[in-house]
Order: sequence, then structure tokens, then C-alpha cells
Amino acid sequence: MSAGPLIVQSDKTLLLEVDHPDAQACRMAIAPFAELERSPEHVHTYRLTPLGLWNSRAAGHDAESVVDALIKFSRYPVPHALLVDVAETMDRYGRLQLLNDPVHGLVLRGLDKIVLIEVAKSKKLAGMLGSRIDDETIAVHGSERGRLKQALLKLGWPAEDLAGYVDGESHDIALAEDGWTLRSYQQEAVDGFWAGGSGVVVLPCGAGKTLVGAAAMATAKATTLILVTNTVAGRQWKRELLARTTLTEEEIGEYSGERKEIRPVTIATYQVLTSRRGGAFTHLDLFGARDWGLVIYDEVHLLPAPIFRFTADLQARRRLGLTATLVREDGREGDVFSLIGPKRYDAPWKDIESQGWIAPAECVEVRVTLTDAERMSYAVTEAEERYRVAATARTKLPVVKALVNRHPGEQVLVIGGFLDQLHELGEFLDAPIVQGSTTNKERERLFDAFRDGSVRTLVLSKVGNFSIDLPEAAVAIQVSGTFGSRQEEAQRLGRVLRPKGDGRQAHFYTVVSRDTIDTEYAAHRQRFLAEQGYAYKIIDADDVLGPPLPQVD
Amino acid sequence: MATTFADQLRSLPDEALGALIQLRPDLVVPVPADISALAVRAQSRNSVARCLDGLDEFTLTVLDAARLTRSADTALTSVEAIIELAGDVPADDVRLAIERLRTRFLLHGPEDGLQVVGAVDEVTSPYPAGLGRPADFLDPQAAALCADRAKLRRTVLAAPPGARAVLDRLAAGPPIGALTRDAVAEPVRWLVDQHVLVPVSEAGRMPRPDGELVELPREIGMLLRRETGPLGVLRPAAPVPGGPARNPQAADSAGAGQTMEAVRAAEAVLESLATEPAPVLRAGGLGVRDLKRVAKAAGVDEAGAALLVEITYAAGLLGESENGQNQDNFLPTGAYDLWRATGIAHRWATLARSWLAMTRQPGLVGRRDERDRPINALAPDAERAGAPQARREALTALAELGPGAAPTTDDLLELLAWQAPRRARGREPAHRDAYAGAAMLGITGLGALTSYARLLLTDTGPDDGDPLGVHPEDAHTDAVRALDHLLPAPVDHILVQADLTVIVPGPPEPDLATELDVLADPESAGAASVFRVTPASVRRALDVGYQAADLHALFRRRSRTPVPQTLTYLIDDAARRHGGLRSGSAGSYLRSDDEALLAEVVADRRLGTLDLRRIAPTVLVSPRPTARLLGALRENGYAPVAEDAGGTTVLSRPKARRAPSRTPRLAEPSGPVLTGPRLAGVVEQLRRGDIATRAARRAPVTVRAAHGQAIPGLTAVQQHTQAMAVLQQAVRDKARVWVGYVDSHGATLSRLVRPVSLSAGYLRAEDERGESLHTFALHRITAAVTEE
Repeated sequence: MSAGPLIVQSDKTLLLEVDHPDAQACRMAIAPFAELERSPEHVHTYRLTPLGLWNSRAAGHDAESVVDALIKFSRYPVPHALLVDVAETMDRYGRLQLLNDPVHGLVLRGLDKIVLIEVAKSKKLAGMLGSRIDDETIAVHGSERGRLKQALLKLGWPAEDLAGYVDGESHDIALAEDGWTLRSYQQEAVDGFWAGGSGVVVLPCGAGKTLVGAAAMATAKATTLILVTNTVAGRQWKRELLARTTLTEEEIGEYSGERKEIRPVTIATYQVLTSRRGGAFTHLDLFGARDWGLVIYDEVHLLPAPIFRFTADLQARRRLGLTATLVREDGREGDVFSLIGPKRYDAPWKDIESQGWIAPAECVEVRVTLTDAERMSYAVTEAEERYRVAATARTKLPVVKALVNRHPGEQVLVIGGFLDQLHELGEFLDAPIVQGSTTNKERERLFDAFRDGSVRTLVLSKVGNFSIDLPEAAVAIQVSGTFGSRQEEAQRLGRVLRPKGDGRQAHFYTVVSRDTIDTEYAAHRQRFLAEQGYAYKIIDADDVLGPPLPQVD
Repeated sequence: MATTFADQLRSLPDEALGALIQLRPDLVVPVPADISALAVRAQSRNSVARCLDGLDEFTLTVLDAARLTRSADTALTSVEAIIELAGDVPADDVRLAIERLRTRFLLHGPEDGLQVVGAVDEVTSPYPAGLGRPADFLDPQAAALCADRAKLRRTVLAAPPGARAVLDRLAAGPPIGALTRDAVAEPVRWLVDQHVLVPVSEAGRMPRPDGELVELPREIGMLLRRETGPLGVLRPAAPVPGGPARNPQAADSAGAGQTMEAVRAAEAVLESLATEPAPVLRAGGLGVRDLKRVAKAAGVDEAGAALLVEITYAAGLLGESENGQNQDNFLPTGAYDLWRATGIAHRWATLARSWLAMTRQPGLVGRRDERDRPINALAPDAERAGAPQARREALTALAELGPGAAPTTDDLLELLAWQAPRRARGREPAHRDAYAGAAMLGITGLGALTSYARLLLTDTGPDDGDPLGVHPEDAHTDAVRALDHLLPAPVDHILVQADLTVIVPGPPEPDLATELDVLADPESAGAASVFRVTPASVRRALDVGYQAADLHALFRRRSRTPVPQTLTYLIDDAARRHGGLRSGSAGSYLRSDDEALLAEVVADRRLGTLDLRRIAPTVLVSPRPTARLLGALRENGYAPVAEDAGGTTVLSRPKARRAPSRTPRLAEPSGPVLTGPRLAGVVEQLRRGDIATRAARRAPVTVRAAHGQAIPGLTAVQQHTQAMAVLQQAVRDKARVWVGYVDSHGATLSRLVRPVSLSAGYLRAEDERGESLHTFALHRITAAVTEE
């Protein structure tokens, strides 16, 4: 029995003990086929999924090598049934291929006739397949490429998509690497994406996802459609692209509620694409407006349902999804996977942090004890109002102020979900507020002021959850949120993870009301980050408020 | 015959006789009285069939050869004749086979005068080696054809392709074919016309309407087998299964992994049945839906779940228990708890042994029976008495191939078919089932038999079945020890992480497992286990009596890594809130805003019997009912007031003690005075009754006598005739008559009546008493006498 670092569980999870001397080698060996599920401090959890196994098969690994890796690094005997299952699952990939036939166009070819017959009979594929060309080949309607792949995946016979991509309209884009270079993991991410054709790159907030996008554009050298969450995020993309690539102001268009420009590189918001007039999506023409060579989905975990449907029609174009967390609160990770593409790159947050590319962060949960009056009013509140009452307790205000005062000279973001509370905070802290109703112009002004340091403290509503690039923010104080949303927590932490000029530590505070539903939601929200290895520290509000305790030496 | 069978037995040396008994142990069950009895038994059908069942394909063929070479007159054959018939096969192999048959006394007598035991013909195919009967036995014309070798050869060569195919098929055996379809019939017709095939009728059966049976005569069959020899293809040695040879260590390792998995899955199956017991179906067995649920809970497929359910039941870990609503449920037994406390290897050995010995075929579960109904797990339909033997055969065949051999199941089945063709026939599903079960239980790893399972097979196991299925005394059999070496050592520590997961990096020690069961929820199981600590799980631990400090200490002691602060907070939070609300029951309460007053009441020794307890400064409770509490307080000079459920004061005036009220019973008023016609009616009724009574008392002796005995001088028939005459006269005279008769209950009565008519077997008469019309069946009338 080898004393390897890996334990193979019967539910197909793999436990990797990170402190083991062979842990790094083991990680390299299993990364191609197992998906990292959790990476807390001692034992990382990977999972063997059919998707992961097929993915590695697509990348050229065979079942034998997977089984070898499992046996080599496993501490304990690996159940025979699991090994058999792995081999059988991997064997299912590639029995069917999507090819471009010079005569018949897109075809589905079965290397195994019986499988082809089996799937052709399936009702789920009705209408997607055309006429049978010969024993091994069936014509496929070109428009059904995405849906066919989705359906085949569900049937358990994933097709190998060898039909390739259209090059799109060529447009010269290059990175302007003056005084900076692409970081190694960014380069790996771009390479991984390009080799796979389409897919998702998962990087922590602040790790430079925009640059991965820019580098992908520079590799594609083609017209690009970038889909972002909101206008401000779009403008940040534009700014970054102008700074980091050879693109000029005239080449980048904005397609939003305010402007409708279509240029070689067009940045569009999800909102404008999914807006309807008379029940019809009016801005869908954008997808066909140019011969796009690359479509980039920013914050792919927020992709709204209609975009999935449009994406199914875009299978011939290269697609790049960018996100910090593939966790979707609606559980549609599978759709991201089948329509945008498999995960092409993923790095544990802590690894990037240890390389110094994101600021080290201290996560602190500050527990506030409610006053008796507040407790009483919480106690008698209706169930649906309870979270609001607990989260917006006035007791939090002085604590927030004390926390702000703890970090003199640092840029502080106060983030919350309830507007009343934010207004109170704004008055109490004497800080400007950015909320949904703030005009884009005003937002820009405030953000610029924050960046140059003339505004030290900024109160943000939910608009601050994503894609706001405020590199100097070093402290984030979260007072309330969208119930137990895990990705919101991760995104908010991301606001302060941009590496600081002097390598300072970032601070992320969550102020919660003790013994209320607020604490429970906080625990749920923290789960993702805890699994990413961020250990939350819990302190009592009194320790923040009170005078520093005399040191007893 | 030189010597009889018994004489031959008698003349055997002791060793040979002993060998025979060893090879055919059924001969001495029970021990026969003498050698003659032994001889009779050795020639009996049952014993011969049993002996043949254990013989391999080659030996059986040699026995067929012995049958074929018997001389027509003496029914004797010889070793030479058999060897000659066997053709190309090395003579030594044939000799060995003959020797096997002779030691078993299926062939007996000297080498040149071998005799086949008569019962062999009765229990084997009538077509030895797949050859038909001799031509001269079947048909003279066919015999003539066979006698002319040259003509026979020409005929066979001239056969059209269709006919040739039929011939080849019949030559391979069995030599009998049935004509069913016209398309096939044509070539056969040709063959029959040429007398190559002989139509035969099945003994004792009518000729088939759609065709008939044809038989290929022995001589022609042997001619057609020119290339393979007259006995067909002979395999003196067992077929060697192909397949990769595994590294025995790799096989052991994969198998050991599987044993852990099997034990874990079995435990999960039982746990799932414990949390939600499954009802026993009326026809016996576990329902399909329950099986699905169990399979899902254990993370195995349904076939696997069926296997585990069957094994655990056979091992006595699962049983039936009545749930109190007249419904039997499947529930883990007490033995399960003992089993769970033992080590993995031992737990596995219990399962594996039960599997080897159980007379069930789990592979049948989910199939459909002959009435097309699905077979359920644990249902009587899956009972197969031969299953244990099939399993042993299957595994022994694999074991004999040596360590690391991992042939395909099909190859193994072929090997089994060679080793004991008579037995293997029909057992193929059982054998397949055995290999599937062995893989699932980790008895085989990567398709090869594991070293520890080899030990388990040779280990005879405990002699007496412990009813609890636990054998502490054999906990350290070789198999268990060997497996223990392959399995990870139990660990006593955990790794606690900031995301509140707890990881046990190996099989937990029983102590640790018990602790974790209580204070964390399992998330992932296998060689290691992952638990998650949640507020609910901590509360559970507090409920069973842990204190927050205990929990902190426990995590500190068990954890190899620093306990994260989140966990500390979680425990403290849960402990702080635990017991924040208290609940109990009381018979009555006593409250007052005046705490001093309550203090006085509690301190009052006269109220000691009320068992008052202070649960809050202003509230006392007592297990006694309110009335008693109030009474006692008032008696002792307090002034309590009662409250109703809503808290309103209930005022009550004192009541004098009274018995419950009831309705008085009044005296009956005297009845109305009888007057007029009603009175007269009553009197008349009385009179009539009186007359009737007196008349009855005066019934004539003849009538009364007719009830008991015959009237002197008259037979019963004469009496009846006389009575009829009297009645006829009375109808005419309208006179009153005493009639004696037997009623429908058999009682004898007499009546004074006035006959009205006598017809259709009935007497109609007026009754003087009730003035109503009576009907008497004539045959019931015993006597009739006119009133004097």
C-alpha cells in the first residue's frame, strides 16, 4: 500500500491532502480529468464527473492513464467498480463526431454504428437530424449544432465537435505590452481556451480576466462581440482594451441602452439584449450584425436564460466565458458547460494569491449583538421580513463607522443590499452613495473620484457587486446582501482583491446580527469562499467598538 | 458373465473399495447392510446419475464409446475397442478415462470383458456420442444401403447442398431431427427417399401431423464424421481460458478496494432500511420501489442492491419485524449492531461467507418469472437450492487457473461446461450470477480471484451456524488476516477545516465513528469519510448529552489540524441557544405578581403534598390538578382564584354535596276495567282452552297408543288405512275426530278437529279451539278416532 496523498471515495470524489509531499505531483496528474470542487486549507476535494472525464478524453488522455493516476497516488485500494466505471464512461466519448462534410455540410458520424442507431431513435433528437447518408453518417441541420450537442450530452453520448469554427471577419488586434506582460496563468488560460476552441475560464476576481479576454482577441485577430453585465462594466472593458491593446477609440463600439454602435469590437450589455418590445427580443440582430469571430461572455455565471438560447445558435463561433465562480444560484452550470463550452482553465484562488497576483485578503465576520428593542422587533417580525430587519439593524452603523476608522488612509467600500440602510450609512459616514438610480455619468464621476483618492469611502448598492474596477479599494464592509448568495459574496470580496501597489493586505468585513437569520445567511454565503480556502475569522462587535484593550505583557 | 457385480465389489481390496466410496459418497448414506446391498445401490439410477454429473466431458464421451463398442450378443466391450474408436486421441488419455470409469464402477469387469452398468443407459441420452441407432435396427433398406459402403459414399456425395447441410447437422448430434416446415422438408424428403435418413416415430406417440422425426443411422453418422473421428471432436484436456493475466498484487488491491466498497454499501443499505423500514410484500420479498430507494441511498445499481439485501438477509443482519399495525417490515437485526462493531475485513468475511452459502440467486431479481411477473428481492421465487454449489464450482474453476488469471466469463463458462457438462447444463445463469456477485463483493479483483478469497474458499468455515451470524471465534481466520493486511489501518484522528468539513483520512475507529455519527452529517463515504458540522448536528450532540466544552475538547483531541475559529463559534452559538426554551408538563400552575407571596407558599410545609416547584420568580407549578391545588391553598388560609385557559378569572360559589339527580320511578297505574264484548271474549277463550285441555286429557287410547307403540293386532299400515277411512267418514259426517300426527320436528301430537276435506295428500280441518283451518299432511297422520 502506497502512502499517497489521494483518497478515492466511492461517490467519485477525490480527497487530496495538500500537505503531503506528493500533493503537487498528484494535483498535476488528476487536474486534467477531475474537477476541483473545494479547496479549503488541508484537504482539497476533486470530483470525477462524466463531463470532466470526457473533457480529458477530448484533450487526449485515455482511460488507462486516468486509472493509472488514480492507482499511483491513491493511499488506499481503489474499488474495482469505480475503475470500471471510469473506463466505461470515458469510452463513451468520441463514438459520435460532428464533422463538416464537403458534400453534405454538417454531419453526425458514428464510429460505432449501434450508438448512432440508438441516438437517432431518441425522441430528444427529433427534428435535429436530417436524412441518413450512409450507415455511419447522418446529416445535421446546421442550425441545430448547439442543441444537438446539448441533447447528446444528456443522452450520455457526447459528440466530438470537429466541425470547426468560422474565422469571422478578420480584424487586426494585438496586445500592447509596453511595460507589462501577460502573467503566466493568463497565458495558460488563453492557450487552454484556444486549444479547446470554446469554453470557460475561471479566475478569481482581480486576477485580470479582462486581460485574458484581450489576449484571446489578439489571438483570434477577428471582430469580437463582448457581452457584459452593465454599462459601467462595459466602459471598463473599453478602457482596459484601449490601454492594453492596439485598438483605438473608433474601433470599439458600445451597444447599450444609451448608445447603439456596432463596430469591429462591440461591447453589449445583457440587459439591452434581453429587453423586449411587444414580447419580441428587438436587439437580436446584433448577433448577426457582423461576422463575429469571437464572442466573449463576461461574468458568465450571471448569463440570463435568453442569452443561452441565442448562444445555442452561435455554435460555429468561438465562445469565451469569463467568471470568478461557476456557481450559479439557479443551478444552470450544465447549460454554461454545454453551450459556452467546458471549463478550459481554473486556478484555486489561493494559488493565485500566493503568487502575488491578487491581494491577500483577511475575511472577518463581525458579530453585532442587537439591542433588546431590536431583538424584540425582530422576534415579532413576519418571516419574509426577518432578514431585512436583522440585516438593517441600526446597531450596525457605529460598528461600520468603527471599522472605517480602523483603516485610516485606505479606500473603503461599504456594500449593502437595502437602500434605506445605505442612505442611513451614507449620512452616518458622510459618504456618497452609488445605487441603481444613480446616472452613469454620476457613477463615473464618483468612481473616478474614488480612484484618485478624493473620495475615501463609497457606499455601494447591489450595482457594486460586479465588474467595477476600483483597484485601490482595500477594505470592503458588507452590511447586507441578497440573502444567502454565495457568488455575491465572492464578487464582493473580488472588489478588494486587486493587488495593491505596496502589497498591502485587503480586508473584507461582514457585519452580521448575532442570533438572527442574518448569521445563517452569512454562513451560507461564506461557504464558497471557505471552500476556496479563505478562513473567516469571527470577532465581536465590542472588540471593534471598545477602546483597544490594554496589552498585558 | 464371469462374476457378478457384487462379487467384483467383494473381491476388491479395501483401498479400492474405499476409493469407490470416496468418489461416490452417496453409496454409504445410509451405510448399506452388506456388499450385495452396496452393489444394488451402485447400480441404481440415482446413484449412477449422481456419479455421471461429476464427470468431465471427455470421460463421458469415453463412456459413450464403451456403450457404442458393446458387442451385440454379450453386451461386453474391451479397452482396445474403446481406444480404437477414440481414434486420434492419445491412448493414455483414453486409458485414464477408462480407469476413472472403472474406479467408479460405471464400467466393471476385466479389460477385455468390460461391462457398462445398466443404469447408465437409462439415465443418459439414447444416442451415445450423438450417434443414431444402427441401421439394421432402424430400417432394412437403410441397412442395405449401409452394407454397401461404395453406394453409401456415392449417395452422400450426391446429396444436394440443402440435404448435405441437414446431414452435417445431424451428424454433429443429436441424430434426430423433426420435420416442421415445408421449405426444409424438401432436402429431407430426398434423404428419406435415398434411405439415408429413416423416419422414426417417437415411442408411444402418435405421428406428428406436421411432419415426423427422422433419424440418421449410426453407420452413416460415423461415415460423416470421417474428419473428426467417430466420437466427434474430443477434448481430452480442459479448454484453457484466455484473457489477460493480472498482477496478483494489483488484483488484490482492486479487490480490497471493492471489499471496502461492498461493506460500506451493505451498511448503507441497512441504514436506509433502518431509517425507513420497507414493508414485506404479501407474496414475500421487498418491493421494487423500496429496492430502488435503497439502491439510491447506497449508491449502487439495483442489481447490486438486490445482491446486498439478499446477502445481509442470509447473514441474519436483516430481518422482518412486526410494526404494530399487522404489517411486517424489513429491519436490520440486533446482529447488525454487533457486525458493525467488528473490523472491515471481518465484516466482509461475514458477507462473503453468507453469500457463498445462501440458497438464493440474486441475479433473478428484476427478471420475470414464468407467469411474467417481476421477481422481487427476498421473494421466494429467487430461491435456488443449487446456488451455493454453483457458486463454489464457479469460483473453484477460477481458483484452479492460478493467481492472477482473469479470463472472460464466457471462457469460464465453457470451462465449467467441460468439467461437468451434465451439471453445467442449465446452470449458466447461476454461474454468471456467481461471477457478478464475486466482482461486487471484491472476491475477484480485476477479474482475477484475490488471495484472501482463495483462503476463504479453502476455509471450511464454522461447523455450526451461529444463529446470530457472528462468529467471534473465527474472527482471525486466514482470509480475514490476509485481507486485513491489504486494508487501510483504522485511523483515530480527523482533519477539521474552515468550511466546517471534517475529514477522516481512512476507516474510522469504532469510537471515532460513533462520535462523528452524532456530531456531524456524513457527506461522502469510501476509504475515507467526509463529514460536515452543521448547527443541527451540533444540536444533536448537545441533545445526547455533550456539553460545549466536551465538543471543543473532542475536536481538539481528535483533530490533527488546528480547530478553525468558525467551528468554535458554531459550537458556542449552538450551545448558547441550546435549552434557551424549556418545556415540560404540569398539572396546574400558580402565579402571582407578588414574589414574596409565592416564596411563602413554597416555604409552607403544610403544602408539601402539592410538590410545588418554582419555574420563574412569579410562577409555581404543581403536578396536582387545579382543584386540589385550590382546595389545599384555601384550607391553609390562602386566597387563590382560578383561571381558565384564556387567563380569565373563574368564580365559583361553594356547592353543597349532592348525588347526581335521577328520574324517580312512579308506581304503575291500575289497568282499565274490562267490560262488554271484550270481557265475553276473554271468558270464551278461557272456556275453549279448558275444553281443549280436558279433551286432550281425554284423547282416546288408540290415538295416544299410536304415538308410542303399535296398537295390538294392527300393523302400522293397517292403522293408517283405518285412519284414512275414519277421516273420510268424518268429512262426510262433519264429525269431530281425534287426529294423532307427527309434526315437522318429529314430535307426536293429538288434536281434536273437524275435518273439512281430504284431498291431494292433505287433510284440511277446522280446529275447535282457534276456529282456524289446519292442514295436515296425510302421511304424517298416525291415527284417527271419532270423538265419542
